[in-house]
Amino acid sequence: MKHIVRTAGTLMASLVLATQAMAQDKPEQIDVGVFTFTSGAPAAYGQPGAQGAELMVDLINAAGGIDGVPLRATIVDEAQGAEGVIAEYRRLAGETSYQVMIAALSSSNCLALAPVAEQMQMPTISWNCDTHQLFLNQQLDYTFRPNGNTIPEFVAYVAYLLQVNPDIERVAIINPDYAFGHDAAEIVKAAFRAFKPDVEIVAELFPSLGASSYQTEVSRLSAARPDAIFSNLWGADLENFVRQAQPRGLLTQSQTVLALGETILQRIDLPDGVIVGMLGDGYWLTPDAQANEDTVAFAEEYATRFGEYPVFPTMKMANSFMVMKAAYEAAIEANDGEWPSRDEIAAALGGIETATFTGTARLREDNDGYVDQVIGVTGPSDTYDFSVITNMVRYDGEALMAPLGEDPIAWIETLTPEFLETLPEPGSYK
Amino acid sequence: MLDMALPLIMDALANAALIFFVAVGLTLVFSVQRILNVAHGSFYSIGAYIAASMGLWLISAGLNPWLSFPALLLSAALVAMVLGPLVERTLIRWTYGRHEAIQILVTFGLFLILEDLQRLVFGVRSIYQDTPMALLGVSEIGGIFYLNYQLLLIVLALAVLFGMRFLIKHTRLGRLLVAVVADREVSLAMGINTDRAFVLAFTLGVFLAALGGALATPTTGVAPGLGAETMVLAFAVAAIGGLGQIEGAAVASIIVAGAKVLAVYYAPAFDTVAPFLVMLAVLLVRPNGLFGTATTRKI
Repeated sequence: MKHIVRTAGTLMASLVLATQAMAQDKPEQIDVGVFTFTSGAPAAYGQPGAQGAELMVDLINAAGGIDGVPLRATIVDEAQGAEGVIAEYRRLAGETSYQVMIAALSSSNCLALAPVAEQMQMPTISWNCDTHQLFLNQQLDYTFRPNGNTIPEFVAYVAYLLQVNPDIERVAIINPDYAFGHDAAEIVKAAFRAFKPDVEIVAELFPSLGASSYQTEVSRLSAARPDAIFSNLWGADLENFVRQAQPRGLLTQSQTVLALGETILQRIDLPDGVIVGMLGDGYWLTPDAQANEDTVAFAEEYATRFGEYPVFPTMKMANSFMVMKAAYEAAIEANDGEWPSRDEIAAALGGIETATFTGTARLREDNDGYVDQVIGVTGPSDTYDFSVITNMVRYDGEALMAPLGEDPIAWIETLTPEFLETLPEPGSYK
Repeated sequence: MLDMALPLIMDALANAALIFFVAVGLTLVFSVQRILNVAHGSFYSIGAYIAASMGLWLISAGLNPWLSFPALLLSAALVAMVLGPLVERTLIRWTYGRHEAIQILVTFGLFLILEDLQRLVFGVRSIYQDTPMALLGVSEIGGIFYLNYQLLLIVLALAVLFGMRFLIKHTRLGRLLVAVVADREVSLAMGINTDRAFVLAFTLGVFLAALGGALATPTTGVAPGLGAETMVLAFAVAAIGGLGQIEGAAVASIIVAGAKVLAVYYAPAFDTVAPFLVMLAVLLVRPNGLFGTATTRKI
């Protein structure tokens, strides 16, 4: 009896797995789970991403959907915490109409979701999270990151800072008090040790995520008299910090680097000369983006619908949708026109290289992406009534990535000041 | 270290001023009604939202920007007049004389409701209204630029401290409140309308919390969660100063703010826990707080 039950169980399990693996019937609709922050302090960053998803769904559907099938996005708020996010992910992944997830914004949520994606065999495109720990020491077959990671992002800022201001000696850091902030501080310090070992870190502050007042931190940074201040604060935290630091002269007292500064250019009058960027190439006003008529049309449509131009979280989201669409199309083609399974979509995402609104998305063997890094300084605009990024440089993403299998921090330590000479000059991207 | 002394003192006082407005209201309500009101932080954030909204309306209507100063006070008064009597009469009064656990659960429930209401009404994105701060400019103190608005906050906190002392010691209302605090039953027997005293004390507490929130808006963004962040520090102040002690709240505000500021300057990893480490140390030595006194209880 036991034997019969065991055999029947094995047969049923095999049947379920086989059904999942088989090519599927063409659905009436493609559901996509989109994970971002739509409430709380991070919503200032996450909501433009959600709006980007909404617009991309409409644009793709207006152009006939994917192989004639319309898209529908389900937005999941990451503010509910990792447990809630995982529960929502499991619930959506349990439905067959969901074949791809675009998740998540928060690095901690990406780290939490990666094993769930493997377990549920759900292709997951990390649209924003950029912790370098995601692919460190583990092979993920269902998680793909066309978005880039913290290593090239923050090495690029140190490189740019030293290219425009090679004499700096005293640096202060103010980052959020969680993995993203601490990881960035480690990378920045490692890059300074490699490129300019005599740089002294004179203050290192990690205010709580969601803090409302930064007045004491502003005083502390002012008192430290740094030549440069580096920050990867983001969302409402970044906006709060800048609004409190600017009237007290901090942003002009030192050369300030706001790693996610592009997100606030339309909301706050930053002084000229602040180094800002977008953790990748997702700026709608880069020469490449402006040369692409689809990008220009997307930005104008976004501005019409939402009252402001897209910020880089919007572009990252839009680019992720483009990667997803390209993967679907490649999988359908590889499947002789039949509708693909999750596994076939995952196979198409592996090593994908496709054009995006702002450049090219290219995944390497570990599913991590090579993304160019665009950085510049704030300056006035002849066209817009807000500051834009000027004196831009576009660093090749691959040049700033640790080679596959190498410890990224240890790799940064191997770089030398001469490495900076191999990089393009600030202002060369025009 | 010495060259940091002036900035340290300035930052501690500016931080203490904002915490004091909330803590003194919390401690006043406790001393009169014997209730630890967990929802007190919500009145702070509602005051901040109303003040920011009123300021934004003033500016968008093209009115004189200096009107944004009285608007801060008016916002706090509006919140107190509407929410003070409403909450006290409909909810808080049912908890008088009941176990502390029930009082805390009821006020915590109110806190959760008010937090969600704020999200519904004001949304989830930060609101900024910094006109008062911009109008007053900056001053250089010890080589660091401080907002003159921060200096104004210190002056206003002192005004509230002395105003509260004057109210308690030299006005009829203050004497009535002292009598109710000393013995509610005897006060009732002497003809004091204790219900009215409770409404007035609670409304004054709400006003002080809302005033703290309103005064904070020119220097901070107003977003969901603001109330909880401030409330936690106000609890630490009340515990250190001794629940029900107004002067204790003033001294404890400086201690809590000083601990936080010192941590930011010299041990940033501890800036969140520093006020609570101090609270722990004080309570280990003086369980009723620095200014609190032990009370006997019939069993």
